[in-house]
Amino acid sequence: MLEVLKPGLETSIQDWPGRQGYLKFGIPWSGPMDDWSFRLANLLVGNAPGAAALECQFIGPSLKFQRDGVFALTGADMQAKLDGRPVPAWESIAAKAGQTLELSFAKLGARTYVAIAGGFANEIVFGSRATFHKGGIGGIEGHAIKAGQVLPVAPGSGAPGRRVKAAARPSIVADKRWSIEVCRGPNDDWIDEAGHRRFVDTEWKLSSKSDRGGYRLEGPDWSFTERAYNKPPEHGSEPGNIVDHGYPLGAINLAGQTPIILVNDWPDGGGFINPYTVPSCAFWKLGQSKPGELYRFKVVTVEEAQALAREIAALCSVASIEQ
Amino acid sequence: MIYDEPRFLPGGDRFLEIEFGNELNLELNFRAQALGQAVAAEGIRGVTEFASFFSAALVHYDPDAISLADLERELRRLLDTVTAADDLEIPSRLIYMPAMYLDPWSAEAIDQYIARINPNKERDPDFVARLNGLEDARQLVRVHSGTEYWIAALGFWPGTPFMMPLDPRCKLFAPKYNPPRTFTHKGTIGMGGGATAMYPVDGPGGYQIFARTPVPIWDMQQRLKPFKEAPYLLRPTDRMKYVHITREEFEMIERKCEEGSYEMNIVEYQKFSPKSYREWVATLDLNARF
Repeated sequence: MLEVLKPGLETSIQDWPGRQGYLKFGIPWSGPMDDWSFRLANLLVGNAPGAAALECQFIGPSLKFQRDGVFALTGADMQAKLDGRPVPAWESIAAKAGQTLELSFAKLGARTYVAIAGGFANEIVFGSRATFHKGGIGGIEGHAIKAGQVLPVAPGSGAPGRRVKAAARPSIVADKRWSIEVCRGPNDDWIDEAGHRRFVDTEWKLSSKSDRGGYRLEGPDWSFTERAYNKPPEHGSEPGNIVDHGYPLGAINLAGQTPIILVNDWPDGGGFINPYTVPSCAFWKLGQSKPGELYRFKVVTVEEAQALAREIAALCSVASIEQ
Repeated sequence: MIYDEPRFLPGGDRFLEIEFGNELNLELNFRAQALGQAVAAEGIRGVTEFASFFSAALVHYDPDAISLADLERELRRLLDTVTAADDLEIPSRLIYMPAMYLDPWSAEAIDQYIARINPNKERDPDFVARLNGLEDARQLVRVHSGTEYWIAALGFWPGTPFMMPLDPRCKLFAPKYNPPRTFTHKGTIGMGGGATAMYPVDGPGGYQIFARTPVPIWDMQQRLKPFKEAPYLLRPTDRMKYVHITREEFEMIERKCEEGSYEMNIVEYQKFSPKSYREWVATLDLNARF
């Protein structure tokens, strides 16, 4: 059991791959944004890679252990301390009952994952413990953790001193410039060649109006093909309007002229086109970037994106853990 | 336009969008829903999500279980069988939804928008009536409530229905707000494009609004009987019929919903036959209005 002394900025319980199978009722998956770091955190403490763990965003929580336990931190560097002493990330650590784990602001990266041996044992809602806080589903009472709550932990048997090999860790960029893989489509034929060139030639700025549902990007205007203008009226009046359709996770959704990358708590349908989609292999980068940082997009094929996801999946295994 | 061959449009490494046409046409949704049923019944290896929208469907697959090419091939095969089936029937509940048309809460949200955002905004009921060549807001109420609505999709927000009128004499069109409204009451009913939708929670919105229901369509507390299984009331391929209520009835029903004692009127014995529907539509004067 972990007692929440300070909640941090929207810290939530997530599991991986989240709440799948309910998209036709409008319920998104949720789950950790950087699923690479998340899976490794669980493996460090002897859990299944998808077990429920904490996602801390930008400013981490302070948590008090109510009984002995083994935990691990991965992802962003939030300058963690256990009873005031700095503790390393990417390594499993033993904590005694009564000790306090204190996370501060994210120095490098944006999201830190806290896994605890046994995993969190909050209620399963629609097959998942993940928090979808805008919809009030999952987690603790449907929302981010709050001060005074006690987070239930299942019994587990983790060992301290296990480390993630350096080569298996995602490398968070220090210069605030990210290269993000994208695939063309589903609606790439609504954008003209100049628009596509502008998209890949631009350094897009991640807007502060971003959250776990969508990442807004700031950059130049888009230009369109004939398809965007010559269409039945039920599509809507703007060139980027289309008859309401489903949105893939990762879609770069063109709301008017503003591209919004749809991330884990995404609205799964609506009336805007999606000229590009960020594949799963690049989600960890979205999870670790902060507003104000810059994205340059690199177009890959569907097959290349699938191969990159397999490379990450191979790294998220016990083979990446050393004693 | 209804495409002869649907378009298969990949969305990243694990999604596929199937586009059946580029117009708002019930036939396209029937096709999408029928394909979704066939996928659920047969089960395609690696497919974990199938969500139909108006004229398209979104599929999620696990690329380690099935390749994109194999997925397309499987979907085409199932699509051929459902397209060929002339006697297709789709399970469809009929939900009688109490609604107060021209209600004071929508009026309040519109007033707020006019006062704070756009002083030139014509009030929604008058605007939609005029745009559709109707006499006045009263006729808008008759026309809008004169049909069963087909729930073509749920989405955008959990449990939010996107609906189309089944009676072609009740087809209406309304552009979305630009810029959007910052506030809409939970339960508000409105239109955007050719679709009718309801707001499951208080929030911003872009639809033209002119009615409100006291019955929840999303309730995490699951107080009413139809919510026993899930916090959402509606399913794709359900139908909805609005039943006029007064303000007094609205308040009474709202109270009963909060207590958990409201008895919802949901009819479950029917199935929807696209073939019978087509035959009926063919007998109608499409220019008639109620």
